[in-house]
Amino acid sequence: METWVILLIVAGVFLLFLITGYNRLVRLRNDADKAFATIDTMAKKRYDLIPNLVATVQKYMEHERGTLTEITELRAKAMSGNLSDNEKVELNNKLGRAMGNIMIAVENYPELKANQNFLQLQGSLNEVEEQLSAARRAYNASVTDYNNAVQMFPSNVFAMMFGFKAKALFEISEKERQNVDVKALFNS
Amino acid sequence: MKTIHEFENFFNNNMFDDLSALEERRKRILKFAILAYLVVFVGVALSFFLAFLFCFEGNCILFAIIGGIAASIIIGVVIFYVNGRDKEFYLDFKEKVIHAVIKFISPDLEYNAKNYIGLDTFQRSRIFTKRVDRYRGDDMVEGKIDKTHIWFSEVHAEYKQTTTDSKGRTKTSYHKIFKGLFFIADFNKHFSSSTVVMPNLLGKSGIARFFNKMSPGRHEKFVSLEDPDFNKYFVVYGEDQIEARYILSTSLMKRITDFKQKHKNTIYLSFVNSFLYVGISYSKNLFEPSYFKKLTRFEIVKNYFEDVQLAISIVEELNLNTRIWTKQ
Repeated sequence: METWVILLIVAGVFLLFLITGYNRLVRLRNDADKAFATIDTMAKKRYDLIPNLVATVQKYMEHERGTLTEITELRAKAMSGNLSDNEKVELNNKLGRAMGNIMIAVENYPELKANQNFLQLQGSLNEVEEQLSAARRAYNASVTDYNNAVQMFPSNVFAMMFGFKAKALFEISEKERQNVDVKALFNS
Repeated sequence: MKTIHEFENFFNNNMFDDLSALEERRKRILKFAILAYLVVFVGVALSFFLAFLFCFEGNCILFAIIGGIAASIIIGVVIFYVNGRDKEFYLDFKEKVIHAVIKFISPDLEYNAKNYIGLDTFQRSRIFTKRVDRYRGDDMVEGKIDKTHIWFSEVHAEYKQTTTDSKGRTKTSYHKIFKGLFFIADFNKHFSSSTVVMPNLLGKSGIARFFNKMSPGRHEKFVSLEDPDFNKYFVVYGEDQIEARYILSTSLMKRITDFKQKHKNTIYLSFVNSFLYVGISYSKNLFEPSYFKKLTRFEIVKNYFEDVQLAISIVEELNLNTRIWTKQ
């Protein structure tokens, strides 16, 4: 009779462990997903700025027509939906690079640099870029928490049982590690 | 930014005459204070001696001692008040030394010796969560450094503690929450949530991280940041995980770490409603004259310059004049 009671208690404690361990993994995974969704939101803010930027800039920029068309196409593709997470990341990286090129090319157009509308856009763009970078860093922080839980004992046992897999981190580029400072690029 | 060398020139060319005059007054005050103390000391000793000598067997011992002490204290105080007291010395010192130093650093800064950062502003920073029961301050500085509006003053915030011993007697004492320079600047980015950067008192171990994560007494949540040097010195709590990282960009974390490494003082920072608040702890009273140190020595006045410069340098060190975002 007593052995039964002890077995029951052990089983109860084990079950409790299982439930809390499982719930923790789910919570961490949801946090990471939520952080990924925020990156999406920030990326959308960037998409919203693009038509305005292109409209302002193309009157002045004769030689960057190709890049501007590329930006418009990338934006259209990124907004079309039905993309996997990896495709989204890839598109956004390309978009970021193309826009960076435009911002550097501005140096050759003094008239554009004096345009109030453009300066305003440039400020907004810097803001969005840095928010995007903040969102990526927040994502990395929550993925690190999640990955720790998936790989560390004892939660890794539950992770294996229920099929939780480690997620990949965003690679923060060397440029991003510096402050996103478009103006500094111009001054150099 | 003005260098110490430039300040030395300014000290020699523009401040020295005023300081010499102040130095004369300081010496006089000190001389009469010493004289007054001496009179009191001799008077007290003498009254004991006389009581011992003449009244040993009578009842006049108590009378003689009390009378003698009272008389010598009165004489001492009179000497000091008539000859040594210089009511204006303190205010003249602030005007001719501290004000001059501040105007030298930047003519755009305004100084008010009696004013200070208000309690409501101090609390708005959300750095300190304890109830403030006593709050004082002085030496308010306000103005613009290029594009950034700044305010700072010395403040001293304390909380009250009442204890009751076994006999039922209650004792009230005041304890420090913060004492030092409190600095506010208009930050270069827009944000609406609050992010608080506290000194990391526990270190970087797993247990330390666990306790830091609990954020006792705070509604802001722990923000885990990537910079290991920064994490060695600071713990961050924020209402919004992304906005906290938007404010504390990798470059700002590096700048804050560099600033911390240059100064031994405990440093607190917070970012609330587009304002930056910085608390720099000091144990000494700032911008006060010392009656025992020669005012005309450059080493003494240099300290005032360095203390003001430290506050002003926050603008440059944290790059607050870079306005590349939408906030101008």
